[in-house]
Amino acid sequence: MLPYLPLLIVFGVAPSIYALDLAFTNVGGGWVGFHNFVRTYNDFRFLSAFRHVLVYTCVWLGALIVFVVGLALLLHGRANRVSATFRFLFYMPGALAGSAAVLVWLFMLDPSVSPGSFLLHHVLGADIFAQSIAPGNLPFIFAMIAFWTGAGGWIVVMYGALNTIPHDLEEAARIDGAGPITIALRLKLPLMRKWIAYMVILSFATGTQLFVEPQIVQTASFGLVPDTWSANQLAYQLAFRYADFNGAAAIAVDLLMIGLVGAVLIVTRSGLFRTDD
Amino acid sequence: MRLRVVGLGVRLTVLAMFAVFFIAPVVWLVLAPTKSDKALITSSPFSFGDFHHVALAWKHLDAFSSHIFRRWIGNTLFYAVSATAITLVAGVPAGYGLAIGRFPGRKLVLSLTLVVMIVPGAALVLPIFLELNAVHLIGSSLSVILPFAFFPFGVYLAYLYYATALPPSLLDAARVDGCGELQTFLRVALPLAKPIVALVFFFSFVADWNNFFLPYVVLADSNQYPITVGLWDLLSSTPSFNPAVGGGGQSVKIFKPELALATLIAVVPVAIVFLFSQRALVRGLVGGAVKE
Amino acid sequence: MARVEFDDVSKVFADGTRAVDKLDLQITDGEFMVLVGPSGCGKTTALRMVAGLEDISDGVVRIGERVVNDLTPKRRDIAMVFQSYALYPHLSVRDNIAFPLKIAKVPKAEIGRRVDEAARILDLEPYLKRKPRALSGGQRQRVAMGRAIVRQPAVFLMDEPLSNLDAKLRVQMRADIKKIQSKLGVTSIYVTHDQVEAMTMGDRVAVMRKGELQQVAPPQELYDRPVNLFVAGFIGSPAMNMLEARVERAGGGVAVVLGDARLELSDHPWLAPYDGQAIVLGIRPEDMEDAAIAGDDVGPRLRGRVELREALGADVLVHFAVAARPAVTEDVRELAEDVGDDRLRSQDAAAATLVGRFSPRTRVVEGDTVEVSVDRNALHFFDPQTGLAIRAR
Repeated sequence: MLPYLPLLIVFGVAPSIYALDLAFTNVGGGWVGFHNFVRTYNDFRFLSAFRHVLVYTCVWLGALIVFVVGLALLLHGRANRVSATFRFLFYMPGALAGSAAVLVWLFMLDPSVSPGSFLLHHVLGADIFAQSIAPGNLPFIFAMIAFWTGAGGWIVVMYGALNTIPHDLEEAARIDGAGPITIALRLKLPLMRKWIAYMVILSFATGTQLFVEPQIVQTASFGLVPDTWSANQLAYQLAFRYADFNGAAAIAVDLLMIGLVGAVLIVTRSGLFRTDD
Repeated sequence: MRLRVVGLGVRLTVLAMFAVFFIAPVVWLVLAPTKSDKALITSSPFSFGDFHHVALAWKHLDAFSSHIFRRWIGNTLFYAVSATAITLVAGVPAGYGLAIGRFPGRKLVLSLTLVVMIVPGAALVLPIFLELNAVHLIGSSLSVILPFAFFPFGVYLAYLYYATALPPSLLDAARVDGCGELQTFLRVALPLAKPIVALVFFFSFVADWNNFFLPYVVLADSNQYPITVGLWDLLSSTPSFNPAVGGGGQSVKIFKPELALATLIAVVPVAIVFLFSQRALVRGLVGGAVKE
Repeated sequence: MARVEFDDVSKVFADGTRAVDKLDLQITDGEFMVLVGPSGCGKTTALRMVAGLEDISDGVVRIGERVVNDLTPKRRDIAMVFQSYALYPHLSVRDNIAFPLKIAKVPKAEIGRRVDEAARILDLEPYLKRKPRALSGGQRQRVAMGRAIVRQPAVFLMDEPLSNLDAKLRVQMRADIKKIQSKLGVTSIYVTHDQVEAMTMGDRVAVMRKGELQQVAPPQELYDRPVNLFVAGFIGSPAMNMLEARVERAGGGVAVVLGDARLELSDHPWLAPYDGQAIVLGIRPEDMEDAAIAGDDVGPRLRGRVELREALGADVLVHFAVAARPAVTEDVRELAEDVGDDRLRSQDAAAATLVGRFSPRTRVVEGDTVEVSVDRNALHFFDPQTGLAIRAR
């Protein structure tokens, strides 16, 4: 217990409070109310950054819901070894989270070396790398990278949730005349609802924090991608390039609130987490 | 009957298509360093070159900025291992205490832990940066290790294990058998939690190894970079994606095969931990000890 | 070796539940004391207070001459067998048994010797290297016993140690535990909800209910002379039959009237004060017999209609309805619910169903009218208000 408490306070609670403090004060430490929030909101990059992040998050969420649930359902009811193999294959890219994944996808998006160059050509109309990462494609590309690294983990989670459904229940449904599709829609899906909700809220909160992917792609983009593409990047630039810590804190607080609301929602409403016996 | 065969075919095809999506980039990455920069473009994406090119790519990579790649790997290991060690030493007893202890503030600590656990890590990076900046810790390795070491998910995992899977009678038995509270934890609760320790180790190590944002923000000297940030540094030095690099990149000799090799090396430890930990998780240690 | 003493001991939980209420109980050195009662009666809590796993809210617990209220379990010189066995899953059988000795820093050679001896007593020698999960239920139970006896403690505490075994194994382990205990002569407190275990194992049995001690006595005395309705109903299977009855003065003695039957009693002077009042009459099943084969013409008779005949081999249980009201006091109802018997819920109180343990020679079958003779010297009487037995003090 003892060594944990200071960590919790110093790196869990204190940063949030300090960021709040910065967000409501000016350089001299004077109270400025919502001035920093208004100021950053009116920054010409603010809205586009949040719009980018929002589009990205929606695309990602959509892909997660449809494909994760679909694949988990498809896997459930397969022979054990087949399903285990697929789960492992899906899960593998999870080892390449962070910058490694982005690098891999830079290659995948470069038509000159990509094994999927025909897809790049036909779907994105891209024959050179710069066309692949055209601004309009970015939210989809980032969503795909995030899906590629993270979906496997969620599939395992959903599959686990499906496995808690008693076998009897499924057999009873079959005797009652339900086919596999009816069973999936009427029986399995409702029982997965909690987990889906959890995935959506958590992913929404995570999605809005996007930083690594645009930051790395920006480096390799011949200047096509602005360095303030996402909200977190904007906050970072405010802090680092302009030393505007109060403005950075204001955006950080915006983002933290999104995360916090999501977290509180999950903890108090989902019933997935124990807080007492 | 025919309908069922068709259904099975459709299911397997869909699964196989996704398997290709998930695994093809990995296969490509493994094969890429075996080819020259030119062969990457001309030969088939999934062809195997030869090991000579791997050695060559490593030579170029290692030579980059006077062996800095080795430093990055070393830094990452150092950050991830020491942070994970602190996580385990601090987190597992904390989870135990939260699960079986009865003390004021327990519920508050637990709720805070849960909330911080679910708040995305990236949301706290800038606040942590601002805080560390205020106390002038920016640029030290502690500014990476200590935030890494705070891993509420590990605490929650330990808490959940001790609150649900550990039969209270085992702790009672230990006390009756003569253990004090510390001995009860060390001799009974801790050995039983081996799967959880492995799990916490796994998640913490992987999270620390892969983290980009925090070290990117709090470290300034490229000698201190972990490999994730190092990859970014490499990327910004390669003419393959960055024509602005002077001299056509001939001086640094970092091209696509080198970059692919660097990426591969960067993920190998995580992949190993991935495979290694999976086996530890399967062993249900408590099974059979206490009849329900 | 030591005696154990509860002196006015109470346990109140944080939520206000009074689990044990002013328990006074002395367990003598070497005695096998069984605490028995329905679930929630406080027996396990009482045991855990001796173990030091539960704080004592009020009163004093002594082991030997020592007050142990504030001692940790470690310093009480006790060993405990848990209902779940609580074997350490990460340790082998040998290490499980050796665990308390290792904690006590007993020299290695001595540990080896004592573990081997315990394993020999418990027939565990072939399994010493195994992990608990590779053992059967009975073997696990014996490992738990081994871990307790290897310490040579002053007191054994056992919390329903047999309840997870199947019926046959339970009977065998019952005898084994009793044998080991008397051989080692260690003071033992044994908690169970099973009155058969209580009767067969205990030197004395303490019956508890809602945190209160009801009666402490050797098993036979408990059976023959229960102090109240609760004990009478709890001990014995099938349970004692309880009927509403009225006392009438008759000639020199008294008669007990139930429904249309009348049991003449010549010499029950302590019933006299209840003249004209209602009482509860208790009859053990074996104190009744089919009159046709009893060969007893003078004893009191009950007449009933046979509802069910259960042949057990050595005897026959005959369920028959008589025209009398079943005694439905709160005690009785609670007991019935505890054993899952819902017959008493029916409000049809005009007829009571009794169970008699008859000789297998009885010819009665379902539907017959049966004359039942009753051993009038074995009747039990209870005050319906207090629930206490009516008898000579």
